[in-house]
Amino acid sequence: MDTFSFHDYKADYNMRINTWYISSLLVSIVVSIPILTVFSSFFEDTSNYFEILKSTFLYEYIINSFILLFGVLIFTLIIGVGCAYIVSFYNFPGVKFFKWALILSFAVPAYIYAYSLTAFFENFGTLYSIIKSILGPGEYNKLIPKFDGMLGAILSISFSLFGYVYVLTRASFHYQSQNLLELGQNLGFSRSKVFFSIILPSARPAIVAGLALVAMETLSEFGAVSFFGISTLTTGIYDSWISFDDLAFANQLSFFLLLFILGLFFIEHISRRKAQYHSPSRGGVKQKKKLNLKGSKSIFAFSVCFLVFFISFLFPVLQMFYWTIIFPKNLLDLNILQLLINTIYLVFLSSAVLIIFSFIANYGNRVTRSKFLNFLTMFSITGYAIPGVILAVAFITFVAWFDNNIIKYYELSSIKKIFIGSIIGLVIIYFIRFYSLAYNGLKSGYERINRSIDESSYLLGYSKIKTFLGIHVPYLRNSIFLIGILISIEIIKELPITLILRPFNFETFATTAYIYASQDLLEAAAVPSLFLILIASTFILITSRYILKD
Amino acid sequence: MEEGADCVGDLYITADAGRLGAFQAKGMLQKAGWSKAIKNVVPSQFRSTQWTGIAKRARIIYYSPERVSANELNGMTYEGLADPKWKGRLVIRKSNNIYNQSLVASLVKNNGKNSTANWAKSVVGNMARTPKGNDRAQIMAVAAGEADIAVANTYYHALMLSGKKGAEQQEAAKKVMPFFPNQQDRGTHMNISGAGMLKHAPNKSNAVKLVEFLLTAEAQNHIVNNTFEYPMISGVSANDLVPGKDLSFKQDNKTSVKTYGAKQADALEVMLAAGWK
Repeated sequence: MDTFSFHDYKADYNMRINTWYISSLLVSIVVSIPILTVFSSFFEDTSNYFEILKSTFLYEYIINSFILLFGVLIFTLIIGVGCAYIVSFYNFPGVKFFKWALILSFAVPAYIYAYSLTAFFENFGTLYSIIKSILGPGEYNKLIPKFDGMLGAILSISFSLFGYVYVLTRASFHYQSQNLLELGQNLGFSRSKVFFSIILPSARPAIVAGLALVAMETLSEFGAVSFFGISTLTTGIYDSWISFDDLAFANQLSFFLLLFILGLFFIEHISRRKAQYHSPSRGGVKQKKKLNLKGSKSIFAFSVCFLVFFISFLFPVLQMFYWTIIFPKNLLDLNILQLLINTIYLVFLSSAVLIIFSFIANYGNRVTRSKFLNFLTMFSITGYAIPGVILAVAFITFVAWFDNNIIKYYELSSIKKIFIGSIIGLVIIYFIRFYSLAYNGLKSGYERINRSIDESSYLLGYSKIKTFLGIHVPYLRNSIFLIGILISIEIIKELPITLILRPFNFETFATTAYIYASQDLLEAAAVPSLFLILIASTFILITSRYILKD
Repeated sequence: MEEGADCVGDLYITADAGRLGAFQAKGMLQKAGWSKAIKNVVPSQFRSTQWTGIAKRARIIYYSPERVSANELNGMTYEGLADPKWKGRLVIRKSNNIYNQSLVASLVKNNGKNSTANWAKSVVGNMARTPKGNDRAQIMAVAAGEADIAVANTYYHALMLSGKKGAEQQEAAKKVMPFFPNQQDRGTHMNISGAGMLKHAPNKSNAVKLVEFLLTAEAQNHIVNNTFEYPMISGVSANDLVPGKDLSFKQDNKTSVKTYGAKQADALEVMLAAGWK
């Protein structure tokens, strides 16, 4: 870092270039490892084990992934856009509350939602108990609908992800011009015609961007689909690695999954650009007048929002809470403090690494304005689109390959222990997955610091490092805090990466809940699930203003 | 698995001989050098040179006494699950489940692959619903009236009866009855939970000692009362809630549990070919 203190311009320039380039190159290489591993493994021979059955499996995985995707997209589209429309265009009791309460669904990962759904609706489950306590003993199981299998997975994933569509659509609705709406009304359009011919088309890019994010997360989802026993590409990757011990087949499945994701990635990218293009400049926006709802319409709007809030958030919290009370032994058996320490440890370490590298990249891009550097950074942030299962399995493949071919050749000691089943490996993969979150968060903070401030600082004789530490860092304190919280929310909920790469006997709330659930101890999964939701909710409330920024 | 020589564990302790067998087939285990103390108490059909059983379980039939008559179950076998009289009345979990794979592997061993393939097709035809859920969910489906018979492991039912899974599941468990199949021929399908010696185990002799301890009466008593499995050694009784706790039913001692791993691929193949989800 002392490269900043060079005063000779030329030396400073050269060293600076090196620092930015080396750091950005390093990050790009790390991000490219899983991608390259997957693509190179595609042509490798897979083991003969179950060779005959593989084509059947592949077909089933792809079909299931598509059905899941289709179902989730429809649900999240209706719920997300519907809620965004109601809270953006109407006034009714509780509208301010629902505006942020609806994003609490981000605190409930799909797998925990799946546990709640099962616990409540299964034979002799919670709903059965409720009916029995009201009506007395009886044969109620047959009357209770069952939400499991594919339907259960679609519902679980939809209610944990609709927030993406809601948040992006709401932001886009916020900027819709009052003039345009009035124009529609002057033309004699009904409210539904205004909605379908004016509001919806101009919000389309935001909706598509939200749906693309939902789609990427759905295709990456592991916990809920594995709980419901649905064979998708993600569970296929995990199973071929765990059950068949066939990394090559796992990587071939990853290849197909990455192709789909790549398509979605471009859709999202293009839509985001269009979304910017569609939003009118701030100056031109006439403050939209919200329509005050009265009577039954007001009750309807309230009910819709409450229902979504209840189903997406209160329901899983209450179910987990109920189980914690019914089976109190599980609360005492669980070493909550240790789980908390592990989680905090991972969060701090990962946040620190992420924020440091994001700072270097952002500052580098700011002072060099190099196109190549910019390209490397853009490439580095694509890691968020790669499913956690793929990142973890590809990383293991790479380390094993590197160890067997390079390290052994030079007769060095094995590096497997350093990277597999270690905190270092875990942090590296978290880094790839969450780098875009940290980088973009910091970038939006940096964009608010006028470049002239840097120049004034240099004129006053401040060195680059002094400008950086004395001006940028304090200026960006809020951004850093915010990024830290957003990373925390992600890491607390993260399942497949942690599950595959965590050190022996190192558990988080997420892995504990998952392991209990997969060992047929669903009720024991309630306590870690409840803690996970509570911590994540707190963090979401802290950052709600940022998430909902218009 | 990718740990290889950097392994820190000695033993791989898991449920189901099929899983241990698959682990052995991958070359993850080594010859354990089981001591005399172990070989004396664990019958040879419940161990290999690389792993050994620690406790036993049976995979049996649970039925609704309201809807299934004693006559219908008379002489019932696993093979009999294919009988058309069970059409729309049977629940059993998915084909990816290791307990099912081991059960079907034992059928492949005893009846041959072709015969088992036909059996699997008929069984799929008899299912009351697409397979889903764990063994408890199958028992609860019978209790709830979704089906008349279920295939499940013995300790699940005992666990439900114990009340550890809540009052509702205890109530559900009381609505079904256990039935031990194949009592007139080879006996009921038995399986184990066991321990395998890991290939790179750093403390092999201590690991053998640990297994010896797990097979003492003291440890076995603790195991059977917590997991509701059957003891591996004689002289210890299973928990009172476990059906056939005195092990008076006829166990299939002819089919070694080693075959569950050996025939696993065949078992999965016939199930998938039959459209067993």
